[in-house]
Amino acid sequence: MSPPPAPASATIRPLAVSDRLRLEVAVWSLDAHLADLPRRARVAHRREMRTNLHAAARDVGTAEALRRLGPTRRLAAGYLAAEFGEWQPRPAWRTASAIVLLAVLMMTELVTEAQNAFADGVRAIDPHATGTFHWPGFRYLIDDTTYTFTDGRYTSVGGAWTPLFYALLAAATIVGGRLWRLLPAWRRHHIDD
Amino acid sequence: MPPAFDPQLLKGVLSVLLLRLLAERESYGYQLVQRLRDIGLTDIADGTVYPALTRLEREGRVSSRLVPSRSGPARKYYRPTPDGYAALAQGADSWKTLSDVVNPVLARSLPPHPAEPSED
Repeated sequence: MSPPPAPASATIRPLAVSDRLRLEVAVWSLDAHLADLPRRARVAHRREMRTNLHAAARDVGTAEALRRLGPTRRLAAGYLAAEFGEWQPRPAWRTASAIVLLAVLMMTELVTEAQNAFADGVRAIDPHATGTFHWPGFRYLIDDTTYTFTDGRYTSVGGAWTPLFYALLAAATIVGGRLWRLLPAWRRHHIDD
Repeated sequence: MPPAFDPQLLKGVLSVLLLRLLAERESYGYQLVQRLRDIGLTDIADGTVYPALTRLEREGRVSSRLVPSRSGPARKYYRPTPDGYAALAQGADSWKTLSDVVNPVLARSLPPHPAEPSED
């Protein structure tokens, strides 16, 4: 099938760099609001929006094209409703990412403080401590930490996260990010195939 | 100046309009917006049409293909699928049925005051 012909009256008006930049800001602003969509869908929406905005800007000018588009947040809400259904539950990737980051940062800070406190405790008892000490850490969540002291100075090994920690992190991410909602969509997709 | 359209009223019929226009001619997003403005929906926001197209595509009522453009990136053209044609026929019937009921009511002459309640 031959492609649809371009309108005969269409004159190709090149867009200034500043106009292109303004359109790109709108495209990427929309993309940011579509963070909960799968990557492939976001790329497709970005491409289509860029094409439409360029056509509109050539037709009515960049400012008017952006005015007619409306707020990107509202547009994104329309796309999300279109992709997931108006009232259907949808995953929240951004929340999931925030949970992962926050949990790792908090646990790392907590464990670092606890490890330092253990070493400070050893030195409080004997400022010139020499020998090997073990800190069992948070049971089941991190491995033992072994401190080797020489005249009050120390090096340490161990303290890695256990598989249970990663399992809990994954569970929190799935629950907090509502990622279990992907399961029905995944089933639908594979049944359709 | 023509009256602005109620977005809620338009929302209910937009997909039928889009299917109808696409059945007449394969179009890309902005082109459809222009065509809707040409038929009188001068206030319609571009941002209303694009998600509606996405919804139609997700529902399998339109299919799309990329067509190279002389003026920039390839454009995504839409056309109705067989399901889309069926939805169009059904939507057009529903609209006609509804308008057949609503139009005569709205066309009646309006009394200066509402009538007193009857005993029925």
